Amino acid sequence: MQSLEIISVNLWQILISLCNLILLFLILKKFLYKPVLKVLAERKAAVDKQYENAKAAEDEANEMKKEWTDKMSDADKKAESVIKEAVANAQKRSEAILTQTQEQADRIIAQAQTDAKLERKKAQADIKKEIVDVSAVLSQKMLEREINTDDHRALIDSFIDKIGEDDEADE
Amino acid sequence: MLELAIGIILGCCALGAGAAMIAGIGPGIGEGNAVAKACEAIGRQPECKGDVTTTMLMGCAVAETTGLYALVIAILLIFVAPGRFVDILMKTLG
Amino acid sequence: MKQKSRSFAAADVLFILGMLAPIAFAIILKVLFIPASDDIEITGAYIFFTLKLPLFDLPITEAQINSWCVIISIFFLCLYLTHGLTAKVNTRRQHLAEWIVEKTSKLVADNMGEYFKSFAPFICAILGLSAFSSLMSLTGLFPPTSDINVIAGWSILVFILISYYKMKCGPLHYLKSFGEPVPFLAPLNVISEVATPVSMTFRHYGNILSGTVISVLIAAALQGVSSMLLGWLPGVIGEIPFLQIGLPAVLSVYFDVFSGCLQAFIFAMLTMLYVAGAFPAETYKAKKERRKQTANSK
Repeated sequence: MQSLEIISVNLWQILISLCNLILLFLILKKFLYKPVLKVLAERKAAVDKQYENAKAAEDEANEMKKEWTDKMSDADKKAESVIKEAVANAQKRSEAILTQTQEQADRIIAQAQTDAKLERKKAQADIKKEIVDVSAVLSQKMLEREINTDDHRALIDSFIDKIGEDDEADE
Repeated sequence: MLELAIGIILGCCALGAGAAMIAGIGPGIGEGNAVAKACEAIGRQPECKGDVTTTMLMGCAVAETTGLYALVIAILLIFVAPGRFVDILMKTLG
Repeated sequence: MKQKSRSFAAADVLFILGMLAPIAFAIILKVLFIPASDDIEITGAYIFFTLKLPLFDLPITEAQINSWCVIISIFFLCLYLTHGLTAKVNTRRQHLAEWIVEKTSKLVADNMGEYFKSFAPFICAILGLSAFSSLMSLTGLFPPTSDINVIAGWSILVFILISYYKMKCGPLHYLKSFGEPVPFLAPLNVISEVATPVSMTFRHYGNILSGTVISVLIAAALQGVSSMLLGWLPGVIGEIPFLQIGLPAVLSVYFDVFSGCLQAFIFAMLTMLYVAGAFPAETYKAKKERRKQTANSK
């Protein structure tokens, strides 16, 4: 039993060590790289799938959001139109009411004016009648003998009418 | 006479081994230069430290080869050559 | 579930035993067969027995046995690491396994390109075998990497790979590459071609061996100093080399751990660079396209 010399070349030993390296290469490939790479691929597939799912969910959410925003804008438009309509209605109505009240007021004023005119005319007539009566009485008393009542009356009437016409012309 | 011859062989082998190791100067200077430059490079660009170190180690290892050749020769001269030479001497002398 | 976990644990224990048993076996072999010697002995691997084979006798040495032990240990380590892999990372060993695979794959992809992606296990094998072989000297065993035959085998395999990838474009192209700058430089090109595996061998082997030699020398020197300083102590106490305790460990941090791992890394790096550099990617691509075109035209 002895040792090798410190540098001794032996072809078989070289060949054996060459085969050892190839053997270890095969071992590592089969028992370390293959399972680990398989697991890594599995994980990658799982992650990809998750990403895909997330993407699909995001797309769906985006679609929903779009739908909702569309709906919201529709609703906004609708509300606006409703408000506009209501405002227009209210304006129309208020205008109608205003014109109505104006008319009513005008009518009332006109009536009041006619009423006042009638009243006045009536009062004029009354006063005229009274004046006639009074003057007739007065003149009857003053000129009892000379003049017939009816003549008198006609005379005074014409006179008074003249006055009334003057009055009316004055007006 | 034989003793003298063997003595000369052993002595010359030892001298040869010592002389062979003079080759250690070369890699020493070379690697020193390499490391100095690497230090400069790291000082200039500290973010490249990893790459510079790896490349420097590679370069050092390659530069060391000549020194290792000398080492192998020296080891051969000390541990293997005397035996071989003495064997040869014995054979020729019979 | 509990039954399953128990069998799982049993398999784990089996794998760990499988990792440690080869080392223990190597240590036992060394203790039983290799006589301890007091002299400074710097020799090669111990020969257990010799097989008679044609051309050369095959001595089965410590280096062979130890490298087989390393391979078996790595095999069980792989089994242990990949035991119970799941798509969801939940164990530390799965992290380690994935770290190894991803790091080596990235290293190969960075240094060799996408074409050589399948080289990752090979580079990992070089790294693992070289590093663990060098680290074997921590247990006091003979590191297989300080036997020149082991490294020479790896280098020759690398040389075969280099030549294979150089011949990818046909043997004519390979032969032409020898007369590259000027034809009469062909002998020098052949020499530089052959120098590649030789330099790789001597680099790795010389580093590890120099570490071993220096460790042995320093251990011997420490023993001498110890007996000089403490030799006056009476009886057996004087013969114990106290200075040998601790100090060699500091050196082995550099020579075994740092140097061993660095050389493993450098061997792997050089393998990658040489093989990737040997492959004429441009020519190969052009040739492939030309072939495709001719096939299409036919």
